[in-house]
Amino acid sequence: MQEVKRKYVIPGDIVAEGNMRPLVNVFKNGNSIVATRIGITESNQDGAKVIPLSGIYFPRANDIVIGKILDHSSLSWSVDINSCFAAHLPAQDIFGRDFSPAHDDMGRQLSTGDVIAARIAIFDRTRDPILTIQDKDLGKIPTGELIKISPTRVPRLIGKRGSMIQTIEQASSTRITIGQNGIIVVSGKDKEGTTLAINAIHMVEVEAHTSNLTQRIKQLLNVPESEIESDDAQTNESNETTNQDEINSNNNDKEMGMINSNGSK
Amino acid sequence: MSLSKKSTVIVENLRKKQMREAISAGKRLDERSLDEIRPIEIELGVIKKANGSAWVKLGNTEVVAGVKVETGEPFEGLENSGAMIITAEVLPIASPHIEPGPPDEETIELARVVDRGVRESEMLDLKKLVLVPGKIVYTIFVDCSVINVDGNLLDATSYAVVSALASCKLPVFEIKNDKVVDTGKTQEPPITTLPVSITTVKIGDYLISDPTTEEEACMDARLTITTNSKGSIVAMQKGLKGSFSIDDVKSIADKAITKGEGIRGKLKGMINTG
Amino acid sequence: MVQSRSLIDESGKRTDGRVIDELREVKINVGIVKNADGSALIEFGKNRIIAAVYGPREVHPKHMALSDRGVVRCRYHMSPFSTDTRKSPAPSRRETEISKVIREALEPALILEDYPRAAIDIFIEVLQADGGSRCAGISAASVALADAGINMRDMVSACAAGKVDDKIVVDINDTEDKEGGADMPVAYMPNLKKITLLQLDGELNPNEFNTCLEEAVRGCLKVYEIQRSSLMEKYFGDEKGMKEE
Repeated sequence: MQEVKRKYVIPGDIVAEGNMRPLVNVFKNGNSIVATRIGITESNQDGAKVIPLSGIYFPRANDIVIGKILDHSSLSWSVDINSCFAAHLPAQDIFGRDFSPAHDDMGRQLSTGDVIAARIAIFDRTRDPILTIQDKDLGKIPTGELIKISPTRVPRLIGKRGSMIQTIEQASSTRITIGQNGIIVVSGKDKEGTTLAINAIHMVEVEAHTSNLTQRIKQLLNVPESEIESDDAQTNESNETTNQDEINSNNNDKEMGMINSNGSK
Repeated sequence: MSLSKKSTVIVENLRKKQMREAISAGKRLDERSLDEIRPIEIELGVIKKANGSAWVKLGNTEVVAGVKVETGEPFEGLENSGAMIITAEVLPIASPHIEPGPPDEETIELARVVDRGVRESEMLDLKKLVLVPGKIVYTIFVDCSVINVDGNLLDATSYAVVSALASCKLPVFEIKNDKVVDTGKTQEPPITTLPVSITTVKIGDYLISDPTTEEEACMDARLTITTNSKGSIVAMQKGLKGSFSIDDVKSIADKAITKGEGIRGKLKGMINTG
Repeated sequence: MVQSRSLIDESGKRTDGRVIDELREVKINVGIVKNADGSALIEFGKNRIIAAVYGPREVHPKHMALSDRGVVRCRYHMSPFSTDTRKSPAPSRRETEISKVIREALEPALILEDYPRAAIDIFIEVLQADGGSRCAGISAASVALADAGINMRDMVSACAAGKVDDKIVVDINDTEDKEGGADMPVAYMPNLKKITLLQLDGELNPNEFNTCLEEAVRGCLKVYEIQRSSLMEKYFGDEKGMKEE
């Protein structure tokens, strides 16, 4: 039986004592594991960590992000991914290896202000993140309502294996694309559904750290009682949801109008 | 020298599309109608060490103005007038797009346009603020610090200056033995009118009042008009690289007078009860 | 400095009515600047100061970036209306020095290795000053840094102590600063128990110095309690701060 003790902490607070492995957002000071962020602790036999409740998005390789095109040089687009570094999408990613600025028009494919769903292909400590839109469901997002939440709440919004976001999508008849960077696009057939989805997303953002959140979200969405399961405030997967969960929670993909490398939809 | 710059704020095309659709249906993204001004909150007397102060919130745009009164020499050519100096600084806390440093051309324009509106309206009867004509007059400083930027700094700063001045308590100075002495008493400022500035911008073919940061990122031209209590126009400033038709300008001026009267009533109410 | 008049009366009350070991009232409001990544407004006696943090973010100009850690930029600035006599808007030498010592008071707490090629920008804006503004600024900045989610080893809490009428007092106000015998601002990391800011203006013999330092640290710990409760309240709606399941 896992022993999971949870505490509210601010930087400098002790998360756990004894011979524990420091995981994320903590450091080891002698015999104590100390928090480096405001958040909720989680300690078990794997180690001790803090699930942060604040902070801007810091890029991670393989994250799916939603970005906006700022500009382009002759070789790549620069993309705002709501982070401390601007990201770059190489022209070759869309045009292929034999890309040439002479006969391939970058501005035609993506122009300033366009919104894209992309994956961070490369990111390390020495350079800005490099993006790709080559995977399924990535590329330009032409319509929808764009909103921003704190990136620390994204795992909770997705939920265990996508359960939370699927609940919201189904109840509001919308398609929701979530970036790990806190940018979200909601596409619905009518204003009512879109507004309902956005209200649910804001409720998750504000109450992410509380218990019984799933129940309250389902009440907001008018989901019948029988479908409510109990759900803990934080799950072990909160920092480890797979990339597929994030954008592809609904198997019946609706049209997104995205471009991929050979220009087909 | 003035140089055109690349815009710092780029709005997503999705949002621009939403904005255009909403505006052509008469509403903006925050549900306001095209000529609607955001809610205004004013807290007076927030800086106790200042002779007067106001913390103004125009939607999410926040500005603090403080009045400090000293004595000094009159301006050249204005020997029988008190001196008034209005400054503004957009603090680096206010927005991610600000670099600390000396005021840039936009900040200088902001201070000068706000100053012009207050000075030309003769809000303060400066003739009443003279101690020794030609030699010693009251010097009224109104300094503004912008705390948070969400569009329309021109109007927010103007409302902060007007509120701080209208609610301030001036020291009473006297000349004794050729020296300026603060008697320790205070007096009401000689206020003649409440100038109100209304800023309208052009987005596509539409005229929008009191823009947010997002709307400003989509605007082509901007016109700020300040009116006094009589409904006369006392100051104007057109900004940005676009243009207005003559009809646009007349329509904006009409709105500035009617909307201005409404805001004047609100400011009066808040200043009197504050 | 040798005092010209007494600043503590016969019943032990200081110029603002406090006794020698009493701090002024402190209030902290977290998240007050909506555009900033983290922010706090502190009211420390009559001091009214906003600290805001933008970071991590891109370094401008780019050549100032470090490849292995983040850079910290700190600006302490007073609004013209913040002081008894109006202050010119141009940065003064005093503000430049205070910006530096504040940065050096906060840097030891920041885990900058987590932010290579990025900048952490800390802005401290004094709207009203009344003695001890740098300490209040540091305390607010520490809260703003936590609010921004910057990785920190510990919070930084600051408070000054000094000598007035030959007695050691905690939390010097403006009059005591100007006319008193000594003023010693201190910043302290409360869990790691390390001093990150230490300055002195005035004259203290070795005994007085030891007492003054202890009093200042005691003051820092009181400020720490308020920093903690203000953060707990914003994030958890709960002042106690410890919730175990």
